[in-house]
Amino acid sequence: MYDLIVFLTLIALGYGFGQHAERKHFRSILEREKELKTLLCFSERRIPEQEVPVQGQLVSGSVVISIDYFKQFVAGLRNLFGGRVTAYESLLERARREAILRMKEQARDLGADSVWNVRLETAAISQGAQRQQVGSMEVMAYGTALIRKT
Amino acid sequence: MNGYENPDIPEGINVTQEHPLKEFGQLVIGVTALIIILALAFSELGAYAARHLTLEQEVALAHRMLPAMWTETAAEPAEQAERKHLQELADRLARHMAIPAAMPVTVHYSAEPVVNAMATLGGHIVVYQGLLDATKDSETALAMVMAHELAHIKLRHPATAMGRGFAVALLLSTFAGLGDNVMQGWANSVGTLTALRYSREQEAAADSLALETVYREYGTVKGAEIFFEHASAEDNGLTPPAILSTHPSHEERIRKIQNFAAKESGAE
Repeated sequence: MYDLIVFLTLIALGYGFGQHAERKHFRSILEREKELKTLLCFSERRIPEQEVPVQGQLVSGSVVISIDYFKQFVAGLRNLFGGRVTAYESLLERARREAILRMKEQARDLGADSVWNVRLETAAISQGAQRQQVGSMEVMAYGTALIRKT
Repeated sequence: MNGYENPDIPEGINVTQEHPLKEFGQLVIGVTALIIILALAFSELGAYAARHLTLEQEVALAHRMLPAMWTETAAEPAEQAERKHLQELADRLARHMAIPAAMPVTVHYSAEPVVNAMATLGGHIVVYQGLLDATKDSETALAMVMAHELAHIKLRHPATAMGRGFAVALLLSTFAGLGDNVMQGWANSVGTLTALRYSREQEAAADSLALETVYREYGTVKGAEIFFEHASAEDNGLTPPAILSTHPSHEERIRKIQNFAAKESGAE
């Protein structure tokens, strides 16, 4: 009986805080993406010839994001039936976009116009740790920023 | 740089717009229904298997599983006297129930202040001092509880409950590889809830048989409700809802006794 109350409280807390954080994060992502739209970003490995002298520099942005109790529970149930794990999809989408944004912010601070050869790396952080632990994951974005020589 | 641009990527490709609670609801209902159906099926299977357990096998099983029941011969003389008194009461009541000779009823006494008594495998009943204190004003009240435990033995509830319990535990342990801890916790809670349903059914059946037995022995069931009144006063109003309980509510059990009493007095 008390286990059930604790469980439902955790679910409600996870849902309340998780959803609030997610909405707030998406708002911030959309806003900052608009702000950094003029800084272009490509996955292309070969940088096309430039008309002005430039120098390249490694830029990176990384984000660690944690799953809430609610998402963990829904994803656990999803494991039984299969299908889209939508609870994780939105989490990963946030992490990817945030990592790219942080990379772009670094590039902007260096005075770059564009970032090339952008790559994304993902790592699960608490995998292999205690099973009770809530999982969190890292997404890292890196690339070569092109900065005009002055 | 000409020819390179970053077009706007439309939203909602990687993220569904569906409300998360909708998926949550669908999954919880689906999993819960699945577990309930499987738990009920396994429970029936366990009860079916338990019915094939002979009385001799049950007594032998109890001997192996509950060795503590045989170590109390060294108890104090006062406790021995109490035990003898309770055994006599049980034997008197058992006469009205036709309990088979292959399963002799053995009453044990415990000095613990727990206001309860219990019946277990192999015809063993444990009566606690707390119960004797609570029913010291009325023999009928003590007889009602004793008859209730005897009814469990007569109806072979301990064996059935064990069969159901093992079968459901087996089922739930197969869920151990699926999902994460949270899901297993949920599966265990739901699985246990189905066991409670059978537990309440058994208690109600034992109550009915006990009432009849007490009536046959004493010609009245007056005072039989004292134990439940005592128990319900102890609860301080903090009782979980019926679906989460192993026993029917005290109010319900008192009402049943009163109905029985009213019916009997009307018939005379």
